Amino acid sequence: MTLRSPRIDRRTVLTALGAGAILDMLPSEVRPLSAQTAGARYFVGVYMPHGMAREYWLPHEGFDIGYDGCSLAPFADANALGKSYADQLLVLEGLDLTAGIEGATSGHDGSRVILTGSAQSGQNASIDQFLAIERGLGQDTPLASLVLGVGNSAPDLGQCISYAKGGVALPKLVDPSQTFDQAFARLVVGNDPVALAKLERERKLGKSLLDYWRDDLGRLKARAPQNERDKLEQHESALRELEKSLGSKLDGCTPPPTPDASGFPRLASYGGGEPYFDTVTNLQIDLLAQALSCGITRVATLFLADLSRTHLDPALPDDVHIDVAHRYTSGGRAGGGNPQSWQQLARQNHYTSTKLARLVQRLDQLGILDQTVLIALSDMGDPSRHTSRQVPALLAGGWGGRLRGGRHVDLGSAGTPNNRLLVSVQQAFGVESESFGEAKDPAVVTGSLEL
Amino acid sequence: MRCTLPLLLCCSLAACSTSTPDEQPEAHASTSASQLLAPSLRRLSVAELSAAASSLVGTDVDLASALPADARQHDFSRSLTQSVDSLTLKQLVAATRDVAERLEPTSPTLPACARDALADDQACQAQLITSLATEAFRRAPNEGELSSLRAIFETGAAGASFRDGAVLVVRALLGSPELLYETALGSSTVGARLSLGDDELASQLSWLIGGAPPDAELRRAASEGELHSGRERRRQALRLLQNPAARSLYRRFVEEWLGLTRLRSLAKASSVAPDFAELREPMLHETETVIDDAFVSTGGALQQLFAGSYSIVPSELSNLYGIAATGAEQRVSLGKLGRVGLLQQASFLATFAHEDESAPVLRGKAVLERLLCRQLPKPGELGIELVLPPPNPAATTRERFALHAREPRCAACHDPLDGVGFTFENFDAVGRLRSSEAGKPVDTTGHLLLDGQDLPLRDSAELSLALAGSQELAECAARQVVRFAAGLDATAVEDDFVRATRSLAEPERDSIIGLFLAFVEGDWFAWRARP
Repeated sequence: MTLRSPRIDRRTVLTALGAGAILDMLPSEVRPLSAQTAGARYFVGVYMPHGMAREYWLPHEGFDIGYDGCSLAPFADANALGKSYADQLLVLEGLDLTAGIEGATSGHDGSRVILTGSAQSGQNASIDQFLAIERGLGQDTPLASLVLGVGNSAPDLGQCISYAKGGVALPKLVDPSQTFDQAFARLVVGNDPVALAKLERERKLGKSLLDYWRDDLGRLKARAPQNERDKLEQHESALRELEKSLGSKLDGCTPPPTPDASGFPRLASYGGGEPYFDTVTNLQIDLLAQALSCGITRVATLFLADLSRTHLDPALPDDVHIDVAHRYTSGGRAGGGNPQSWQQLARQNHYTSTKLARLVQRLDQLGILDQTVLIALSDMGDPSRHTSRQVPALLAGGWGGRLRGGRHVDLGSAGTPNNRLLVSVQQAFGVESESFGEAKDPAVVTGSLEL
Repeated sequence: MRCTLPLLLCCSLAACSTSTPDEQPEAHASTSASQLLAPSLRRLSVAELSAAASSLVGTDVDLASALPADARQHDFSRSLTQSVDSLTLKQLVAATRDVAERLEPTSPTLPACARDALADDQACQAQLITSLATEAFRRAPNEGELSSLRAIFETGAAGASFRDGAVLVVRALLGSPELLYETALGSSTVGARLSLGDDELASQLSWLIGGAPPDAELRRAASEGELHSGRERRRQALRLLQNPAARSLYRRFVEEWLGLTRLRSLAKASSVAPDFAELREPMLHETETVIDDAFVSTGGALQQLFAGSYSIVPSELSNLYGIAATGAEQRVSLGKLGRVGLLQQASFLATFAHEDESAPVLRGKAVLERLLCRQLPKPGELGIELVLPPPNPAATTRERFALHAREPRCAACHDPLDGVGFTFENFDAVGRLRSSEAGKPVDTTGHLLLDGQDLPLRDSAELSLALAGSQELAECAARQVVRFAAGLDATAVEDDFVRATRSLAEPERDSIIGLFLAFVEGDWFAWRARP
């Protein structure tokens, strides 16, 4: 992999200065991405908890990820998946969450930076929302995006990767039943005449309500000061989304079954440990993949919250956060540390890989993996040091022909800003800008990775 | 007026004023525009939306389980960062549809004629729409708004019933931007300043003090222009404080200020407290009881909150506090437990601790940032990578964190942080008293620069007593009141308000309610800077 030399243009500088409003006034030569037929069509961003034990996540010679203890082994498990997906995986080493490190948003807060390329003070949308809303990738789908999580629904710093323009965290759906309702329930009608009549009336009433709310919002917007416009534009966008969902129907796609809620009778948030983590995660992944393939949305994110007390692996202590991630002792690239602590963290990482591999498999089975850009990152490199340098990144899917998997790419120990990955992502969708995110130094947000 | 606040405070508060109140908008010019907030739109918090829905349909509505959690600022759920994103809107629309469909024709918020009106009863329709819109908008609706709502009613009632029309009107109002946002946009300009309108004043006052939409008396006062007077706002605020909802709001302010709402999503290592999940609510309940008590007896005096000498301990916590269980709540003298005030309650100590050990840094940071409003840089801003002290069962937490003092780059910030944090070292990760750790006696000595004096501290009880009587705590409380009211950091306004509070009488300056009253009486509340 080579790094493209940064070309700093006016747009780049303005973005780096946080001049979103000025950028909006620049003429856009880009058609809505929904109208494009070539290149990548789907984006999926995933947050992985706890960093990854570098001693066990990096492939060995010949892209061997099946060696004893390798946390990426699930991608090559043909017995479980039907075939190996090792050739769909690019292991990217050497990314730093630079804008966050420089803007006091690292460690447990670092997830803020993963898809935004900005620190806590950033005003730009995360790449998923940028593509879906600002670049129109979600313009003609019933949902512009799906923002999912497991284990923690709070839109708190450190618990989100999706951010709206203006820098506000978006809430996550953590209950698979709600995910199903949002994505499919209104679209599954059947032929019952009573249900059809009820739906038709609800659509009619819904349109009337939308007109009313839109007028009301328009009056408010006319009085609102400039500094509150982002907020009202987000509200307008939400009304458009609501309108789309009223008139949508499934064409040529079989919806998934309604999630069996008896499999997750109680949902809990981070600290208490999500007791049905595995069931919920599987359902969220399956619904996410189905939503993409059914054309419900083209953009989705998934936040896998802290795995503490999820009891997913009897060989690990209950408190994975403290007793595994905090006890990880590694010398990093220099080597050294406590091998037992590597193995423990790698076991936990192995679990996360099984979930990502499941997602890749589902996208493949549904025939959309080649058009999907899938990126999965953690907020920390060495989790016991809470450092957001050298964070693990996994890239999968075909990226519309731009990504060749089965490779391990090392960007080096100096640390490459994750903004460059985000620039590459937007370019895979045809957005020919050379920058993404906000940082004091334009060089942080500028440049792409050649994949 | 009947006053459930302590008589002395109530009378004192009613008579006090911070600065010359603005009897008329145009007559007042004491606060410069740079010391005023910007015009704003604040989306109501989930609790406020629940209150608005409850008042519209006349029954208790709780939207907490239906809507995404609040986006917060400084842990405050009154926040300008709240927005209406796609998911929130869809869930709000679904939840409020359910609320509206449960509407009974006998609801107290509907006119009596609605009980047996036919779908085409125009007179009853007009009555119903005016009544509901007034409640939803916190003001009288204008003709354009009434006309739009008539169209909504007719769509709902067409081919259906009068009630169906009413249900659709309620759904429209519950999703209306006019209801979802509290506006502070201003209605008239005086130089570089904007005066909030009558209805905005009523709405702001009611949400900030009463935790609910304006009632009839407040709307009357607004319609007669009375709320431009600081004294009248104070009088109305004192009236609103008699409502139970006001006490909930004040309680929420204290809990969010201290960051205690985080406790609900925290866990502890099973080696420390295997039953922690069952202790969280009792811990918060204990704190809320003491906060409520302080409201009733002193209007939330800082002295009582932070140097209080007793607590009401729920039975579930008796083991943790080392007292005999009686199966019921017990009023306990804190002196006997070796504790004092809110900072030595389990809720604070467990919130600001790690899962398996105490956390001098978190506790020190909580005191310095939350109670003294000091700004501490994050290590990343100074180019310092966070390195947690390695586990060492043979060392005390204090010994392990002593690394900070040895590393000069860390010491600058950590000396004040740890000087406070170490004073809590006699409390473990859940707030249980301990005298030793790793086989060694705990060392709770520390120090704090407070009101210009470097105070040596024997422990956090001494810290609490020093804080409770300090000017810095009172001034930080004033600053937090501004943040809560404004929904964001507003340094210039905070500074100006803090200056003004220095001339207040002590009961007012040193109590939460006194500070709220002083704020609503002043220009900071009633004016905005022209953009």
